[in-house]
Amino acid sequence: MLGFLRKPKKRLCVIGLDGVPYSLLRVLTEDGTMPAMAELCAHGHLRSMKVTLPEISAVSWTSFMTGTGPGTHGIFGFIDLKPGSKETRFPSFRDVQVPTLWDRLGQKSKKSVVINQPSTYPARPIQGVLVSGFVALDLRKAVFPARLLPDLKRMNYETDIDTQRARADQDYLVQSLHSTLEGRRALVDLIWDKEEWDYFQVVITGTDRVQHYLWNAIADTAHPFHQAVRQYYRAVDRFIAEIVERYWKKAGKEKGLTSLFLLSDHGFTGIKREFNLNAWLRQEGYQRLEQATEPRLQDLSPDSRAFALDPNRIYFNRKDRFQDACVETEEIGTITQEISEKLLALLCKGEPVVREVFRCADIYSGPCVAHGPDLIVLTYSGYDAKGNLLKNDVFTETDLQGMHTWDDAFFWSAEPVDGDLTITDLAARFERFLS
Amino acid sequence: MMTQGFTLWFTGLSGSGKTTLSREMEGVLLERGMKVELLDGDVVRTNLSKGLGFSKEDRDTNILRIGFVCNLLTRNGVVAIAAAISPYEEIRQKNRQLIGRYVEVYCKCSLDVLEERDVKGLYKKARLGEVKNFTGVSDPYEEPSNPEIIVETGKETVEQSVARILRTLELMGHIPVSGNGAEYSPEEEEEIKKRLKALGYI
Repeated sequence: MLGFLRKPKKRLCVIGLDGVPYSLLRVLTEDGTMPAMAELCAHGHLRSMKVTLPEISAVSWTSFMTGTGPGTHGIFGFIDLKPGSKETRFPSFRDVQVPTLWDRLGQKSKKSVVINQPSTYPARPIQGVLVSGFVALDLRKAVFPARLLPDLKRMNYETDIDTQRARADQDYLVQSLHSTLEGRRALVDLIWDKEEWDYFQVVITGTDRVQHYLWNAIADTAHPFHQAVRQYYRAVDRFIAEIVERYWKKAGKEKGLTSLFLLSDHGFTGIKREFNLNAWLRQEGYQRLEQATEPRLQDLSPDSRAFALDPNRIYFNRKDRFQDACVETEEIGTITQEISEKLLALLCKGEPVVREVFRCADIYSGPCVAHGPDLIVLTYSGYDAKGNLLKNDVFTETDLQGMHTWDDAFFWSAEPVDGDLTITDLAARFERFLS
Repeated sequence: MMTQGFTLWFTGLSGSGKTTLSREMEGVLLERGMKVELLDGDVVRTNLSKGLGFSKEDRDTNILRIGFVCNLLTRNGVVAIAAAISPYEEIRQKNRQLIGRYVEVYCKCSLDVLEERDVKGLYKKARLGEVKNFTGVSDPYEEPSNPEIIVETGKETVEQSVARILRTLELMGHIPVSGNGAEYSPEEEEEIKKRLKALGYI
C-alpha cells in the first residue's frame, strides 16, 4: 500500500522587503509597529546579512536570484558602459549572464511564482509566473505568461509608484505606497490558488521608496509624516501576516515555518551629504572635462585618469579598455594606491568619509570582472556616494533622506544560520531545500 | 546595404571549446543572414599554414597568417571567425591592431579540467613526452590581458557562452539586436532615467 502514498509536495515561500535594514527591523519589531514580524522573530532567527557591492537593488537582487556576484552575473549597476566604450546604457534582465534560481528550479520541473522582483524586466518565460518589478515600464512586457495580463489590467496593477511625483509630493507618496501594496495583495490573491507552484516569492518595494524620501520620519516622532510612515510599516506587517497565514494553511504550520524566508536586498541609513566622486576626482586632478555644459563621459579629456559611475564605482581610463584613454596597464597599481589613500584620508567637517576602497579584482570573480569598475568606494553612514558628472562641489546637500548600506540587510529563517551570510548564499540554499 | 564585417577571435588552450563555440557562432550568425567564414586553426594548418611546425616562430607565423586573412574578410563585410590557440599576447595584439574591428573571446578553462576531459588524448601524450611543444604543458600560454569576452567553458553551458558572445556583439553594435521588444526604446530609456534620477540612483 505504501506505493500509493503520494510524497508531500515540498514548497518554499520567500518575502522580500526592499531596502529594509536589519537594525530598523529590530526596532520596529520591538516597539510594536510590526507584531507579525515580531512573532516570527520569536519563533525563528532574525539576523543581519551582507550584500554584494555596489549595494543597490539592481545588483543585490540579481545576486540574490542568481546566487552569484556581479563578476559572474554581469550586472554592476542600474547604469553601465557599453563594451569598450564610455557610452552609457541601462542593463536589462536580458543582460543577466547566468540562470536565475527559478530557471534552475524549472529545469527540475519545479514551478515558481515570482511577483514584483526588481531587475527582471522585460519578463521572460519561466516555469510558472513572473511579474517584473522595478524598472518595469510596460505591463505587457512585465508579465509572463501573457494570459495573466487581462487580469492585471482589470485590477489596475501598478508596477511601481511614480517616483518623480513622490519625491516632490509626500502626501502622494504615502497614498501610492498603500495603493501599490494593495496591488501586490490583489495579485497574490489572484495567483495563490489559481497557479500551481513549488516556489513562491513576492517583493515589497515601497519600503525602499519610503526610506529614500521619508527616512527621517521613521524615528522622529515630531515629523509630520511620522505616523504615516509607521502606518505603512504596520500595513506591510499585515501583508506579511496574511502571506504567512496563507502559506501555513497550504504547507502546514510546522513545514510552513521552516520553509518560509524573509530578506531585504540592502540596508538604509540617513544622509548627511552626497559625496560626488567625479567632482572629487576633478578636484584631485584625475579628471578634466572638455565640455562644461551637459558633459557626458565621452566628453572627458583623454588625459583624464579616472571617472565614476553611480553610485560608488571608479573606472580608470585604461588604454587597454577605452579609446581616448591615458592609463597604461602598468600604472594601475600606483593609481589604485594613490586614489585609495587619498579617499581614506578625506574628511568632511572633520569626519572621515570613506570606510574602505575595494579593488574589484579582489571582491569579484567570474567572466564579467573585466567589464566592471576598477574600484568600489564604500562610504561611512551618511555620506552617499554619487557618480553625477554635473556636480562641481565634492559634498552637496540633497532633499533625499535615506541612503543604502551594505552590511545591514536582514535575513529571517526559522532555523538559525551561523557564520557570515551574504545574499549570494541564499539561492543555493533554497534550491537544495526544494531538491 | 552591406553590413560591416568584424573578426571574432577565439583563443584558449587545446580542448577549451574554441572549435565548438566557433561553429555554434558560425551557425547563429549565418541564420541571422550574415556572411561568415570560419578559420579553424587545425584546418588552417592543413592548407594555408601547411608545413609550419610548433616552434614559437612557426606558431607566430601561423597566427599572423590567419589574422591577415581575417583582415581581408573583415574589410569586405564578412564576419571572420578564427579559432586558434594563439598563445602569445604580442601576436594577438598585432592582429587586433591590423584588423581594428576585432573581438577577442578567451575560452578559459583550467588545465585540470582539460586534462581530465582530454577528448583527443593529447594532454596524456604531452605529459608522456610523446607530443612536444604542447601549449599549457610544455609550451607557454599567455592569458589575454583584456579580451572583450571571457567564457568559462569548464563552468558554463555552450548555450550560456553563445548567449554572452551574442549579447556583447549586439552591445558593441557589430550585429543587430535580436528579439522583439528586448531592448529599451529611446522613450523608455528617458523614462528609466527619470525614475532613477528621482530615487537618486543617477
